Amino acid sequence: MDILIYAVAALTLMALVFGGILGYAAKRFKVDGNPIVEQINELLPQTQCGQCGHPGCKPYAEAIANQTDPINRCPPGGETTIKALADLLDVEALPLDAEAGVDSVRKIAYIREDECIGCTKCIQACPVDAILGAAKQMHTVIIPECTGCDLCVEPCPVDCIDMLPVPVTSQTWHWQKPEQLIATDRHPRVVSQGDIPA
Amino acid sequence: MRKLFDFPGGVHPAQNKQQSNPGKVLELPLPQRLLVPLSQHIGAPAKPVVKVGEQVQKGQLIAQATGFISASVHAPSSGTISAIDAFPVAHASGLEAMCIELQTDGQDTWHQDIGSADANTLDDQQIRQRMQAAGIAGMGGAGFPSSAKLATDKPIHTLLINGVECEPYITADDTLMQVHSADIIAGANLLLRLLDQAKCIIVIEDNKPQAITVMQQAALEHTDIEILVIPTKYPSGGEKQLIENVTGKQVPKGGIPADLGILCQNVATVKAINDAVYLGQPSIERIVTVTGNGVKQPGNYRIRIGTSVDYVLQQCQAETHANPVILGGPMMGFQLPNTQVPLVKTSNCLIVPDPQELPGKDTSMACIRCGQCEVACPAQLLPQQLYWLAKSDAFDKIEQYNLMDCIECGACAYVCPSQIPLVQHYRYAKGMVRQQAAETRQAEHAKLRFESREQRLLDEVNAKEERRKARAAAAAAAQAAKRAENPGAEDPVAAAKARLAEKKAAEASAPPKKAAEVQVPANHKDLKTAAAIVRTKLKKASKAFADAQAAGHDNTDKLQAMVTELEQRSEAAAKALADFESNMGLDPEAEKLAQVAWAKANAQVRKLTKAAPDESASDTEKSEHQTALTAAQATLDQAKAHLDSIKNPSQEAKS
Repeated sequence: MDILIYAVAALTLMALVFGGILGYAAKRFKVDGNPIVEQINELLPQTQCGQCGHPGCKPYAEAIANQTDPINRCPPGGETTIKALADLLDVEALPLDAEAGVDSVRKIAYIREDECIGCTKCIQACPVDAILGAAKQMHTVIIPECTGCDLCVEPCPVDCIDMLPVPVTSQTWHWQKPEQLIATDRHPRVVSQGDIPA
Repeated sequence: MRKLFDFPGGVHPAQNKQQSNPGKVLELPLPQRLLVPLSQHIGAPAKPVVKVGEQVQKGQLIAQATGFISASVHAPSSGTISAIDAFPVAHASGLEAMCIELQTDGQDTWHQDIGSADANTLDDQQIRQRMQAAGIAGMGGAGFPSSAKLATDKPIHTLLINGVECEPYITADDTLMQVHSADIIAGANLLLRLLDQAKCIIVIEDNKPQAITVMQQAALEHTDIEILVIPTKYPSGGEKQLIENVTGKQVPKGGIPADLGILCQNVATVKAINDAVYLGQPSIERIVTVTGNGVKQPGNYRIRIGTSVDYVLQQCQAETHANPVILGGPMMGFQLPNTQVPLVKTSNCLIVPDPQELPGKDTSMACIRCGQCEVACPAQLLPQQLYWLAKSDAFDKIEQYNLMDCIECGACAYVCPSQIPLVQHYRYAKGMVRQQAAETRQAEHAKLRFESREQRLLDEVNAKEERRKARAAAAAAAQAAKRAENPGAEDPVAAAKARLAEKKAAEASAPPKKAAEVQVPANHKDLKTAAAIVRTKLKKASKAFADAQAAGHDNTDKLQAMVTELEQRSEAAAKALADFESNMGLDPEAEKLAQVAWAKANAQVRKLTKAAPDESASDTEKSEHQTALTAAQATLDQAKAHLDSIKNPSQEAKS
């Protein structure tokens, strides 16, 4: 009988001690906010283009984390981002939502400087401060900082901003995926009537 | 005898070196056009220092190195600069890069500053300077600027000079060693002078017996230079494999040979260093092997940097219609998409194979998981695993399998029984890994900028709010101070409020005014404006109605109704105006006439005033003018009075 009491007492004691430790740890190491938002935000391309319908990448990451938005509304990220998000959240990879836009080559904004009237509207629109200029002075895009988000094009009153694809240089060029032909692809075997077994 | 180590893997492809007749350097006539790329090395492209149309001499600096890892470019012959522009260069992409185009004058005269020097009189710093000025970049293939390689601050105990030349077909270094053995030894001694306490090992594969004999002869008197013969195995000439072969040590991942106290230089680079220091000659030529069954006159040719591949092949009578042209060796080289490209400091071989010689591996079979690639891999990677991962675009995983340690030697693809182009898959995957890394970096950067911008905008809004609050507080304080000054006075705000409330109450109690009373009595100007507006509207509506009818639109009833209504209104307005005018005794016609008369008189007065005679004029003239002016003034006064009387008849009546 004593053994039973000792066992119960020991277990109770242990439960109390561990409960205490867990309780302390829950308070001491409490994580503020939703860590998944940060992880999702890391995977997004940070163009801050708003094509997903949110004002920037972080709000979209929050929407995904709260499951209010699907993972396929990021055209700049394209297939790669959708795949990475699907892996992270363990959900099925969806095709890109055509409503948000289409996946295309990376583009960069260029201002036709002769036509710029110096209205500063594009400067205010740029989410990453990549446009340099002042009122009534010519503006220009700081090319390495431009994310190609497109947001400066619409406010321009004289339509002097072009979105041009990033040129391939010998520094950025890389080999394409080899189109692997297997021998039978090259010389398709002609199947004659006699080959088919009766 | 030095103990040799081995390196894992490796293959033994057919050598095919005898075709190019090693040991003899052939000369080519100077081409008329040389195209010198600004970036023939790893690192920043050089910056042109000449202009189009400028005359240059052989060996003259035409583009200056920019930055530490960069190499200068010199004119390979004398002539005129005809263009500085983008031209296609020898790159697997077929992309264009900035080049300086030179039309040679055939004189081939050296620049006046180029002259030999006695190295014994030069100090170490001067030797380094001469090396750097010569624009020497590793001539073994990678093209790393030699001066940057030598500038390491790590202690170097071994100088490895690479004369291995393990790729089949190529015999450029073999030939160089046979012909310029003394120069190579002298260059090695120069390097030894710069590297304190180092010993030198010149490594040669045992398939080059002549080169070994000649080099041993040349090195006889130099006790600190050792000629080391290693067994033939591909890719023993790779820097990392060479080091492992000779020292048994592996270069750490992500490290450089200097981490092990080793410096590697190619024999051709060492010869170029010798030429730069002793002769003052920059890196403007090299030996290139031209070989393959498609070439009628194979051999090793001394070629100026910038010579077109086309020109070389033409001179060697190569058959390029049906055959591909490969730049580099058969294992690591690539097929040139365009043969109108220049040869550069790193180009060591041109192969024009016939179809039987190097059959294109454009068809392959499925991987049978035989594992031969893994045995052949000199970097001890898992080629099969890398292949699957590259094929399925699993780029984050492929990095964990150390894809970046792959030296792209092609040994795996060489042994593959299914003829899978494994190296192409790895190159693709490497490119994608680098691209994704760059994109991640860019995204991180954009995020930082976006966040700092958001913070800045928020700060601005907060600062504005702060300022507003501060202003409000200051105003309140001023008010309080004012009140404190004369405590007897009532609060102006409360007083104003009370007045407002009183007024409202009075308005509420008073009977509403009649509309007619509120209406402002019509005046002449307003009536005129109203009439004009209605007239314009009528004109417009009529025109619209006419247009609509002409165009045959339906639903013109509405327009017609509008026109009718406007006609009525216009008539009413005109009548109101006429009534007002007749009531007030106004006559628009008379007014116009009076106005004209007044304007005439006014002009007359002004004209006379302007034309006043000066002091020298006679008294008669003066008095005449005075009379005329007085008369004009009188006419003007009259006209003015008349105009006023017409304009304001009531006032006149009153006065």
